[in-house]
Amino acid sequence: MTQVTNPPLVSVRGPAAPLPSRTSRRDGRAAALLIGPNLLMFTVFVVVPIVGGLALSFTTWDITNGFPKWVGLANYHRMFADPLVWQAVETTLKFIVFGVVPTIAISLGLAMLINFKFRFVSVVRSLYLIPAAMSFAASAVVWRYIFLDGPGYGVLDYVISRFGVTPPDWLASQSWALPALDIITVWLSLPTATILYLAALQRIPDSVIEAATLDGAGPLRRARFIVWPGVRYMTVLVAIIALLSFTNGSFDLVNILTKGDPIYATQTLVYYIFVNGFSYGFFGYAAALSVLQIALVGGILVVLRLLSKLLNR
Amino acid sequence: MTGASHATRGISTRTTRRVRIFFATICGLLLASPLFYMVAGSLMSNTQLSVQPPQVIPSSFHFANYSDAFSGMTQVIQPRSFLNSVIFTVGAVGLQWVLCISGGLVIAKMRFRSRNLITAMFAISLFIPLITTLIPTFIVTYELRMINTYPGLILPIAAQTGFGTLLFRQYISQMPEELFDAARIDGANWWTIFRRLAVPLAKPATAAYFAISVLTAWNMYLWPLVAAEGGSLQVLTQTLAVVGTTGQGEVTPQNVIFASVVIVTLPMILVFIAVQRAFMRGLTGSGVE
Repeated sequence: MTQVTNPPLVSVRGPAAPLPSRTSRRDGRAAALLIGPNLLMFTVFVVVPIVGGLALSFTTWDITNGFPKWVGLANYHRMFADPLVWQAVETTLKFIVFGVVPTIAISLGLAMLINFKFRFVSVVRSLYLIPAAMSFAASAVVWRYIFLDGPGYGVLDYVISRFGVTPPDWLASQSWALPALDIITVWLSLPTATILYLAALQRIPDSVIEAATLDGAGPLRRARFIVWPGVRYMTVLVAIIALLSFTNGSFDLVNILTKGDPIYATQTLVYYIFVNGFSYGFFGYAAALSVLQIALVGGILVVLRLLSKLLNR
Repeated sequence: MTGASHATRGISTRTTRRVRIFFATICGLLLASPLFYMVAGSLMSNTQLSVQPPQVIPSSFHFANYSDAFSGMTQVIQPRSFLNSVIFTVGAVGLQWVLCISGGLVIAKMRFRSRNLITAMFAISLFIPLITTLIPTFIVTYELRMINTYPGLILPIAAQTGFGTLLFRQYISQMPEELFDAARIDGANWWTIFRRLAVPLAKPATAAYFAISVLTAWNMYLWPLVAAEGGSLQVLTQTLAVVGTTGQGEVTPQNVIFASVVIVTLPMILVFIAVQRAFMRGLTGSGVE
């Protein structure tokens, strides 16, 4: 069974066939002209900030006043001694794990649920996909009212109390504020994840599933031995895209809804970076924290890669 | 197997199917319910919004919420912010598209040194989101004297070409080599090949790219927040963030806030429904049936 006929999203592997040799010098000049503007912009606004950010982390700098001052590892020493940093790292990891894992599980379930044809299937699928058009900002506004605490206010609290459960204080609660932000981000991440799984499911030939059914395999066995092997390669991509979405959400939602409160319960690392940079003007320190954030995401990616190797073995 | 058991099986399959359709629809409605709540709430009075049990379908409709969102004491949306969002989205996505499709063609079909290095750089940039390079990006823009200007708002976002360039590279590299060779033999230069061959043939990739990028730009909050401190460059996500922030939202009535969210979100929902297929193709590299 060929799993990937069209590689999903973007692939970084080279083209299948080597390019035929041409007069490379003429290509070189035309190529430089065609890709030049792209590379120039990319260098100025992407490469320079990445490299410059690293350099900046060894300095202190008040940009309205003079040049950066080299301070060596001082920002990193400060970082290791700052308890708020490690609390922020823990909060970020919790936010990501308790968000990305449910996103994967729920989206796979939803994709399996809607992977069949019926009348109005496209209308029903639209219901699943439309949240993808919402921004974090717009979602934050709507969900703030859904999460509203107190008797006679929030819709969610009403529904929960109908089941005889006392609803938590959501955004004002030390223990529920972060899960509340996770719920919003999972909701926003599901459409993309579901589409990706749906595409993977549709590459499993119907005949394979039919054959298994005729051989007496029930839904659970089919899920374990046919569906999962067919979609697990997609799980890495789903996890990566969700990871990036949760990284963005950990700033947008926190800045709009909680500002890191209550008592730092939702202060993610990216929010702490923002506060240090733009509220306190500690540009050098914020740059050092950014290096930590990149290392954190990089570390998670390495773990994902190891996991995917284990899964695909 | 007897005929009877066949018949039972047929009925049970049909029932299973119905149950499945039922659950699929219920789950869909559940997922979309925050959006229904938003639209319904935007048409209610504040009294209707606070009754228990909550109204699903408004008992009466208050379309004035929408005009209130644009004017008077309750004004949320400045026409200027709407214009800024349009300028930002069109500018950033339009410029980025030109950069990405030309870059994609070069990497896919032209021979030159450091091709692999450039590809790797674009790929790595996908994993370094703007939030982690926000401070140095701000400094670069500041040093170019572009903070609080349209170029400062647009250029740093248009420059995030990693995803688009790799998307077009992927698509164009699957086009037959003979096509490009034939054009070369006919004497076409690379500029002509770009305009006459790559751009028209990459239309499906362009549609997918636009579907994803327009949504991203319209919904972007982070960069406009730092690049446009002043009010005159404010975009709609900032407007919403102000009313969405706990405490400040109390000033404006909830129904007007909901109407504002609908006004900001509706264009994208309509665009999204229209380009749903292209969006899925961009994400998965193929269609979803």
